[in-house]
Amino acid sequence: MKPKIAFFDFASCEGCQLAILNVEDALLDLLERVDIVEFREALSEKAPRYDIAFIEGSIHREEDADRLRDIRARSRVLVALGACAAIGNVQARSNATAPAVNLARVYGEEARDRVQTDPDHWPLWAHTRVRPISDVVEVDYYLRGCPVVPAEFVKLVTALIAGSEPRFAREPVCTECKRAGNLCVFARGETCLGQVTWAGCGAICVTQGYRCDGCRGLLPGANLEAHRQILRDAGLDDATIDDRYDLFCSAQRQPQQRRGAGPGGHAR
Amino acid sequence: MSVATEAFVPRPARIIEARPFTSRERFYRLALDRPLGHHPGQFVMLNILGIGEAPISISCGPRTDNILEMVIREIGSLTQVIAKKVVGDVLGVRGPFGSGFDLDDFRGRDVLFVCGGLGLAPLRSLILPVLAERERYGRITIISGCRAPDAELYRDELRLWGAMEGVEVIRLVDSTDHQPWDGRVGLVTAPIADLEIDPGNLVAALCGPPVMYKFVVMALAARGVQSNQIFVDLERRMRCGLGRCGHCQINDVYCCTDGPVFRLSDLDRLPEALR
Amino acid sequence: MRRAIVATEEATLAWIAGLANERLVDFPQTGPAGGLRFARTSPDDRLTFADYRPTVLPPGKTFAPANEVLFTFAHQADGSFRATPIIDRRPRVLAGVRPCDLAAIALMDHVNRDGDHPDPHYLARREATTIVAYRCSKPCSDRCFCAAVGSLDSDEGADILLTPVDDALLAEARTPTGEALMADLDGTPVDDPAPLVARHRAARPQPFGRQLPGSPDDLPAALERSWSSPLWETHTARCLSCGTCNLVCPTCYCFDTHDEVDLADPNEGHRCRDWDSCMLPEFAVVADGHDFRPTVASRQRHRVKRKFEYLQQKFDSRPFCVGCGRCGAQCTADIDIFDIASDVLKQHGGTP
Repeated sequence: MKPKIAFFDFASCEGCQLAILNVEDALLDLLERVDIVEFREALSEKAPRYDIAFIEGSIHREEDADRLRDIRARSRVLVALGACAAIGNVQARSNATAPAVNLARVYGEEARDRVQTDPDHWPLWAHTRVRPISDVVEVDYYLRGCPVVPAEFVKLVTALIAGSEPRFAREPVCTECKRAGNLCVFARGETCLGQVTWAGCGAICVTQGYRCDGCRGLLPGANLEAHRQILRDAGLDDATIDDRYDLFCSAQRQPQQRRGAGPGGHAR
Repeated sequence: MSVATEAFVPRPARIIEARPFTSRERFYRLALDRPLGHHPGQFVMLNILGIGEAPISISCGPRTDNILEMVIREIGSLTQVIAKKVVGDVLGVRGPFGSGFDLDDFRGRDVLFVCGGLGLAPLRSLILPVLAERERYGRITIISGCRAPDAELYRDELRLWGAMEGVEVIRLVDSTDHQPWDGRVGLVTAPIADLEIDPGNLVAALCGPPVMYKFVVMALAARGVQSNQIFVDLERRMRCGLGRCGHCQINDVYCCTDGPVFRLSDLDRLPEALR
Repeated sequence: MRRAIVATEEATLAWIAGLANERLVDFPQTGPAGGLRFARTSPDDRLTFADYRPTVLPPGKTFAPANEVLFTFAHQADGSFRATPIIDRRPRVLAGVRPCDLAAIALMDHVNRDGDHPDPHYLARREATTIVAYRCSKPCSDRCFCAAVGSLDSDEGADILLTPVDDALLAEARTPTGEALMADLDGTPVDDPAPLVARHRAARPQPFGRQLPGSPDDLPAALERSWSSPLWETHTARCLSCGTCNLVCPTCYCFDTHDEVDLADPNEGHRCRDWDSCMLPEFAVVADGHDFRPTVASRQRHRVKRKFEYLQQKFDSRPFCVGCGRCGAQCTADIDIFDIASDVLKQHGGTP
């Protein structure tokens, strides 16, 4: 019987599912090998059990956490699909601000006051902390990036079907950047987070003339002290440096606020 | 210049016997397309194409037929997949690789084998040819220790060897773990103090978990055994077997080609060799 | 003696570009995001020897590319498999190779050709390649220290050697292959190239590039004495363990392998060889998780000792560091093997 795979989305732009839909060639081959049973971007079907569940998006409300736990309980393998699920992504920056301030800023003070006084809106107050899914459930594999790298998705699924352990090297983006023969971003007089960011993207941004902003998350054990000094030497002040790290990785930098195993750990 | 193009290509090896061996290891006997032609202490790179390859010690003595025996612990993705393979399935083999043991270093001497856990598997490739020519060696002592009774490798053979004249076999477990056990309890270092040995005429071969060597060497040194009388079989992360990939490098030597068997006195100048 | 001619730079560059009509030709060219790289040329490309800086990756890497298919495989119906090595023998020309990189290629030839396990993949590409080397008139960067480690005058492995003399180029064929390739290069024949080479050398700045505070011959012994030196800590405090120094080094050749399976047909796939780096944290981890080089300092020490002690002793060769300066120039933490070697010599050199 073909393995059942499913996609679920939480707080995200669903861009990762779109990225996967875009690998049309591989997708057709994939459909020969697996049954996709839930995929909001493409179809609607429910199944009681999943062989591989891909989770896109970060967890905000307690009801989302409950839904995720339910999916975990029904899934043999659970995969964080993309930066939102893996590391909380940009939305986790809101953790640094009080919920009432966030609400007022986005919806106005009147809305903020109404939410506080109307019991129907109280569940929204659970929406106080953006979490990567590993704060709620055990995660078997991480497909990193904003968006994910379709080739890594294919590699993971192929390996899981074959019964082997897919290997995602614990290396910084620099390794792939050098293998690609790129001139270092710093040598262009700019700055980069590639030295402290998980590889796997093939250094696509630098190869295309941009820099690495760290969407794949901070590499565990990265020498951030030294990296910060290098950024300072390149002319960035500390506030700017924190901003740069926090663009994608703010949840990784707030370990004291989180519970459970962090996304910085090894992919199993 | 023409060079063989198959340096990285494994050859087929069909499983002709596969069975659970201990609580953590499985035993495999493979039939190759031609004899392996290995020395004691050598290893092969075992393959499942599509998964990868890993270094595995050869646990049979040198043989003229095309048979290869090995004991495999499920420790990584490759060995997990191998564990599901059954008789008739085909694995890939490259090798044999490494320097191995030279029987001439042991002939005419008293021989001590110290095996920790899975270390008995590679040392068996030396024990068998030594026992096959029993008369060419002095006293033979085999100390074999493991975690618990259900982790003991080659129990029947250890008992048989112990029944041979002039061969002493000391079997130990770290803990009986509430299982039946007819050997001793303790570490492999413990019996060394009381062994009836002639330190001047002894040669020792050691293989076990990396943490074991230091303590066995200390115990042997206390008995007056010199480091040039001790051979150790080291573990490293060999990725090619060809002295090229760099993963197994210990200071200036490549474990896969210069080793994995080293004379301990040759390791004195290699601070990275033992932990 | 083989053919030697003096040709104009213009004619020589046009000749190199023209070689691309019949062969794959790689020559240093500016990449899309800046930086020089050895890139495939076409006959119409306007090539130049001017403004040379070290290429991001050294040219020798072309013989063992970053991600290389070693063999393809197909599982058979009877459970067996067929594996087919991928050997690339396409004729190619590597032109504009500088002496330091030439020295590195000679070392890599040694590593991959001699000994019990020659590497068929490297050797096939290497043997199909004709090398046109170009001698340096001045240091190519402020990180250069080729003269200090004795690679400035390397010529081993070159099929054709180009030497700038005054405003022209002396072109010397060093091999039959080079001689055949040079047939299409127009110029004035030279009976004795030695005086021209001497003139080229006399015109070079002295000293040439950075100089070590001692002889590189003393480095193996000094490195041995430096084992417990605090300099390994001080030189790695800022290290990011990013692997760049290894990956851009012309004599780093460590690798790992991985298998890829076709999604469409899981019975087929290939094994790939990928550049690896001994500065990456998990490089020396064994199966039970123990790491034999657990600290950045121990990994840096290993890297430097490979370049200046281990490999040159193993292969009885010149130092494996050829002084190209790439590792220091491309390290964002500004860790330079020249500085480390200098400190080793200063602190642990001389007679013990």
